Amino acid sequence: MPVMSMSMGKAPAGINPPVKMLNPAADPRKMRRIIAEDPEWSLAVVPSLKNLCLQHIVNHFEEKPILNELLPSQKAFVLEKLPTFLPLSLTANLISDEGYWRRCCEDRWGQRDVSEYDHSWKRMFFERHLENIIELFIPDQTEPKSVLDVVPLCQNYVRRLKITQLLPPIRKPPKFNEDDASESASDLGDDGPSIDHFDFRILLNKLTNLEELQLVYGVRGCGMNFEWNLFEFTFSDCQFLAKALQSCTTLKILKINQSNVDDDKCRTLVSNLLDHPSLLELDLSHNIIGDRGARALGKLLNRSHLKQLDIYDNKIKGPGAQALAHALSKNTPLESLNLRLNQRGDEGGQALAQALLKNCILLNLHLGANELTEPTATALSHMLVHNSTLKRLNLSCNRLGEDGGKAMEEGMSHNSSLLECDIRLTGVRLESEYSIKKHLHTNQAKGRQDTAASR
Amino acid sequence: MSRAGPGELSPAVESDSPEERIAARRLRIAARTEARTRLELGEEAQEQEENTEEPRTSQKQVDQSEKRMIKLQTDGTELVTNILVAADARETKRRAQLAEARTLRNEKLENEAKSSLEKFEEVTQNWPVAKAKEIPQDLRDALKSQQQLCMLITEDKNKLINELQHELKSSDDRYVKELKKQAEDVDLMREKMQEQMTSLMKLYRQELDLIENSFDDERKTLLTSNLKKWEQQRKERSDRELEHLLQRIKQKEENEVLLHRLRVANIKEYNMMKLNLETQSEILQQNIQKTKATNQLNQEKLEYSRHVITHRKMETIHIESLQRKRILRLQDSLKNLKVKCASQEKQAQEENQSLTDGYKRSMLEYKDMQKHLRHFAAVDAERFEEIWLMNENEAKALVHKVLETDRVIYEQFLGLAWAPPHVPFMENSGPIQPQHQAKRTAQQFAMQALGEVEEKREMEGESSTAEVAGLDRRTVKKLLELLCDETGFLIESKLLKLLSPLEKDPQSFIKLHLIFSALGIENEEDVYKMAEFFEKYKQQQKDQPEEGISVSNENELVREMDSELVHPNHVVKALHAFTAQYCRPRDLQSQKQSSVLSLEERDDSEDAAYWESMANVIPESKLKVWNALEDALSKYHTVLTERSKILIDTHHLKQQNAELTALLHQYLSQKGNTELKIPPTLVMQLTSE
Repeated sequence: MPVMSMSMGKAPAGINPPVKMLNPAADPRKMRRIIAEDPEWSLAVVPSLKNLCLQHIVNHFEEKPILNELLPSQKAFVLEKLPTFLPLSLTANLISDEGYWRRCCEDRWGQRDVSEYDHSWKRMFFERHLENIIELFIPDQTEPKSVLDVVPLCQNYVRRLKITQLLPPIRKPPKFNEDDASESASDLGDDGPSIDHFDFRILLNKLTNLEELQLVYGVRGCGMNFEWNLFEFTFSDCQFLAKALQSCTTLKILKINQSNVDDDKCRTLVSNLLDHPSLLELDLSHNIIGDRGARALGKLLNRSHLKQLDIYDNKIKGPGAQALAHALSKNTPLESLNLRLNQRGDEGGQALAQALLKNCILLNLHLGANELTEPTATALSHMLVHNSTLKRLNLSCNRLGEDGGKAMEEGMSHNSSLLECDIRLTGVRLESEYSIKKHLHTNQAKGRQDTAASR
Repeated sequence: MSRAGPGELSPAVESDSPEERIAARRLRIAARTEARTRLELGEEAQEQEENTEEPRTSQKQVDQSEKRMIKLQTDGTELVTNILVAADARETKRRAQLAEARTLRNEKLENEAKSSLEKFEEVTQNWPVAKAKEIPQDLRDALKSQQQLCMLITEDKNKLINELQHELKSSDDRYVKELKKQAEDVDLMREKMQEQMTSLMKLYRQELDLIENSFDDERKTLLTSNLKKWEQQRKERSDRELEHLLQRIKQKEENEVLLHRLRVANIKEYNMMKLNLETQSEILQQNIQKTKATNQLNQEKLEYSRHVITHRKMETIHIESLQRKRILRLQDSLKNLKVKCASQEKQAQEENQSLTDGYKRSMLEYKDMQKHLRHFAAVDAERFEEIWLMNENEAKALVHKVLETDRVIYEQFLGLAWAPPHVPFMENSGPIQPQHQAKRTAQQFAMQALGEVEEKREMEGESSTAEVAGLDRRTVKKLLELLCDETGFLIESKLLKLLSPLEKDPQSFIKLHLIFSALGIENEEDVYKMAEFFEKYKQQQKDQPEEGISVSNENELVREMDSELVHPNHVVKALHAFTAQYCRPRDLQSQKQSSVLSLEERDDSEDAAYWESMANVIPESKLKVWNALEDALSKYHTVLTERSKILIDTHHLKQQNAELTALLHQYLSQKGNTELKIPPTLVMQLTSE
């Protein structure tokens, strides 16, 4: 018996040669019960039959996946030993152990922060896996099947898709040989219809748990191969996306950044998002939305459950801002509005301030870098006196001037709800800035006390 | 059960019953856990006290550090966001500059376009001039000038292009710079963030240390104070324990003395007790012996009785088996009997069936017979009547004859005046009815009753039956009227309609007729019976106590009516009772009567008398007379017969005489005679002479 156990103990963990081939007598070391010269050797190292069986299960998991029938301790052992390259079709619905998926993630992408994914390594794995597939999808070349095959495996786990690039279809190679000027000109003419990106219609209605979608219609890290049409967001793309979004009823957060969304595209998107049952957050920053798009967004505010709207770095001017202000005055559920880096001017600023007189839901308002001047400041100060819901207000990089600062100071002195007010680089005098800050501090202290009391 | 050993704290644990032990153990466990929780609770309470005391000393520190940290955080974020804001500002500025540059460029381009257009126009204007020129030198000059102008235009354009290219380059440079700047900004931001992170961490650590120190201090002070308290209490406790020990030693000594005393006393007592008990034990042993003896006896008795019982048991078993056998046998017989009974039942049923069939047949026969009988009876009656009539006629003829003879006798023989005797039966014809007076029908009676009162009074004398029943005709009339009013439901509604135009009396009469037919009242007697019954009923009602106050009130109102007759409300009830009581038997009776009417009604008793009377038309005295007369007449007859005989004789003689005379005559007249010496005539004459 000791001979047998020793021979088994020394068997390699990987592939067991047939028993007949083993000749324990060949190795004198295996014939010994005690190996005194090896300080690490001990009988305890000899694996038990149970472990060997489990090891066998691990080795042949692909052919015969046995997992749920095992005892918890054995299960843990098997999961620890399973290789990470097993086909997803096998593991996706069978294994729910976080340790295994953690190993999968770390083998593929190295160390990552899992806290973004609700501390679920499995979710992280599948989301990143699907993101990778979509980001590397080349229309007309990659089979849509390659995406659709993964969908049934990961539809239960994917909640968020953060797609940082979408590749355009590859153009005919001869074009690259021509010189740059003619290429760009001909590209615009010839490839108009065929530069559509990945069609989301086939995907979104199948992901039943999707809650957040981030899209960038552009190529990441193009370097010196820059071409304008790498960043083209075509109208048919927009239509497909809008249809797909309409079919995805679980979506809560939608972000389309740096994708050249103009007025018309914005309008098509909005017309399909009207009355969406679950959408809460919309981010269309770093686009080229103008006044018409802003008007459409104002309509969307009144016909949806949106709580947060980010449209910073766009081209919204006075009329668009007025449309948004009109929508806000009807007490939409919106809580946060970011209009940074637009060109609204005093016209829009005053309209917004007047709308806030009636609104009692909005909490955050960002009006940084919006070409606002003194009249807006007076209107805002008037608003501050009456509004008691607004918590954060950002007015940085606007030329309010000294008088505007005084008006703001006066308005602040009557307000007790505002917690933050950013008036940097606005040309406000130091005294008024100081007094505003003092007021804010008192408000903050009060807010802290309230929260402590409520706790 | 094996754990009973260690649990020896309470006596209950050692008790004999396992349940009690379990209960005791449970109690013990509960007590222990309670004690433990109490201890923990006490600790917690202490901690809470500390917590409540703490804020005074360390809360300040915490608040201070919190404030400081918040300030630091906001400052740090401001520092970081400053970069963002600056970038924003720069961006806006850049955009503004770009817009400005764009407008400038646009202006410049427009200007240039204008100037070039002017120049171009100049050139085009010059072309016709140039065409007009015919001298080659002039033409060349003109062309040159044109060329120069064109050159100027192109130069301008090139200049512009260069400028624009320059601008493009500069903007490219600017873009690169911008990128660099942004990268720098990002780096700066990252640096600052890191800086802030590190500084914040450091500060947090410092603050944490400070807070911890303060907490430590507090804890130390608390510890020292607690230790002091602890020491003090321990000392107190040890003192107290010492005291207790001394006390206990003293008590122990006292107790020992007491014990000694008690022991001596107890020994004495013990000895006494021992003696006592020994004697008692002896007595008890004797008793035991006695009881043993009785036991032996009892045992023997019991043994015997056991024997008897076993014996009996055997017997009973034997009997039981016998009984069982018998039961089996009886069950068998029961079964047999049941089978037999069933068969017999079947038989009986069959028999019954046959008998019922027979009965039916016989009934049919009987009915036939009855029919025959009735037929025969009718025939018999007819014949009887015929015979009767014949006989009667005969008898009457005879009687007439007799009477005639009597009259003749009286008048002719006796010469007396004959008075015809009273012969009522002579008027009679046909078989005599046994009832002399036929009953009047009820209708007639009712008619009468309803007739005028005077008429009734006259009738009163006549109708003795009514008076026999003790009923007044008036009451009867009232009763009939009442019936008329109350029992309208017995009459068909159609009839009522038809009757309505009639006068009261005939109307009520017809009504009564219908009611009687409905009730089955046929003749006068029935009417009287009904009246009588109503009277009785009324009395009964009176005898009964009043049913209720309301009824009594009503009763007072109709007291008059009631005193005489039944209350109208009770008429229907009474009628019902009456019909139930009388009509049924009478129905049966009537049926019987109708079935044997012709046979039963014949009463022979009268017949004999009738015929007797007929026979006795001639009374005894007259018979005597007749007898005497007969005698006389017979005598007379004899005389007469004799005389007739004699008469006959004389007649004969006369005849003989005549014949003889004839013969004589003949003789005389005969021719021979003449010849005869003496003629017969002469003889004759001689004889006659």
